[in-house]
Amino acid sequence: MNRLVFGRYLPLDTPIHRLDPRAKIIAMLIMLVAIFLPTGYGGYIVLGLFILGTLLLAKMPFKFVISAFKPMTFMIIFLLIINIFSIKEGRLLLAYGFLEIYSGALLQTFYIVVRLFLMIMVTTCLTATTKPLDLTLGIEYLLKPLKRFKVPAHEIAMMISIALRFIPLIIEETMRIMNAQKSRGVDYEEGKLKDKIMAILSLIVPLFAVAFQRADDLANAMEARGYIPGHERTRYKVLKYHSGDYILLTIASLLLGSMIVWSIVL
Amino acid sequence: MAIKFKEVSYIYAADMPYAFKALDHIDLEFAMHKKTAIIGETGSGKSTLVQHLNALLIPSFGEVEVLDHELKAGLKNKGLKALRAKVGLVFQFSEYQLFEESIIKDVAFGPKNFGDDEATALNKAQKALTLVGLDATYYERSPLELSGGQKRRVAIAGILAMDPEVIVLDEPTAGLDPKGTRAMLSLFERLNRDFDKTIIIVTHDNEIVYHHCDNVVYLSKGKVKYSGAAKTFFEEGIYEGEDLLLPKDVQFINALKKQGFKLDTFDLDQAIKETAKVLKNE
Repeated sequence: MNRLVFGRYLPLDTPIHRLDPRAKIIAMLIMLVAIFLPTGYGGYIVLGLFILGTLLLAKMPFKFVISAFKPMTFMIIFLLIINIFSIKEGRLLLAYGFLEIYSGALLQTFYIVVRLFLMIMVTTCLTATTKPLDLTLGIEYLLKPLKRFKVPAHEIAMMISIALRFIPLIIEETMRIMNAQKSRGVDYEEGKLKDKIMAILSLIVPLFAVAFQRADDLANAMEARGYIPGHERTRYKVLKYHSGDYILLTIASLLLGSMIVWSIVL
Repeated sequence: MAIKFKEVSYIYAADMPYAFKALDHIDLEFAMHKKTAIIGETGSGKSTLVQHLNALLIPSFGEVEVLDHELKAGLKNKGLKALRAKVGLVFQFSEYQLFEESIIKDVAFGPKNFGDDEATALNKAQKALTLVGLDATYYERSPLELSGGQKRRVAIAGILAMDPEVIVLDEPTAGLDPKGTRAMLSLFERLNRDFDKTIIIVTHDNEIVYHHCDNVVYLSKGKVKYSGAAKTFFEEGIYEGEDLLLPKDVQFINALKKQGFKLDTFDLDQAIKETAKVLKNE
């Protein structure tokens, strides 16, 4: 489970880590829009350099960024196969029976893969440098204006933060129960189908029991501390923009602006 | 046949910035057919250490010898199931691992996984349940409706039913009432005395270590600071300055000594008699 890297927070102290979560969320959205503009490889090089710079500034280890891509391998292979069969443009590179590979298919796939990589790098920039709780706080602040349209911003944020807080707990609990059942001779990797079903059952049942109990405990603890959904609450942590946040937003907006112009001119 | 750690280190999340060295060059041997306690602060590596005993963890560096198995860094997960039948590991808060519809079925789960047929497994389960003090009226009940202490006894029975040579328990008495604790300790005593089992207990309770264990391993920040007889460890007071709470008996006798009584025993009754004699003569 420790191999799960995508979306994980890396506790470091860098200028990027210290930025306001709202600024980072907005900047990420701007960058995602920019990535989707059809500017060709030139635009991607500019965006890629900016994102790489941010990653370097955030002292992200190279290995960490690479391992965030791993879950995407399957998707990329899938994409490649589809493209090979559907795109028949450009030069014919290889013909083997019914299989014909055109340069257009490879180029198109490469284009999408670059786009995917950029998107993953941008989201990693956000999630690896922002504590999950700060992230939800940022979301809550950003959703606040929607309160006028009866969007329960605080409740949404609270639900997200509880869900996020429970992920590591549930993973830990899963590992614990798995180890306990392995000690009783359960084999999670090998065995017949019937044994496998039994193995999963021996994991799921205790996990559900524990999860419900935890949820119950948490609800009681929140009530004991006077939590009432929907009530006006004060905050211990109040978000404030600093100069760094303005710089980030300015750069991101300028990038988006120039990408828009670029894509129109092109 | 032995349990030996040779230069063992274990690192969690080795190539990440948050890598954590839980065990640091551990050299250690556990005496067979004895009761050994593992103590140390939270985070000192106790749980990591015991998970090496039945190959749930494989050392990052070094080698662990358990009975006739050798666990080396880089070892693949093959043939380890046989070891798990010989070394039974009971986890902390083991009551949360029960899942079957009836107690007897849950206890028989282990033996069945190790290849016993239904009848043999049920037979073993009955024996194990008798050992932990649960009679036939419990067999068909759901494990989920028991009290915490009873659930834990069912979980321990689940390991005992596998009839392992070595029984490892991670904080078996945490959260139990005095009665439950006493029952648990006398169970370990019996397993060791009558069935010749090697018992290894992780605990925070030094009273248990002093009164119920032969040996003690003291871990601190992933290193072994002491390994040897439990009595000597506390009575010589080697690590008294290190937030180590001494057993009450030892504290009491140390206090008497500080008052100027000359005692050369740590037996409480003996010490009280000698002190009384001295007081009478004054």
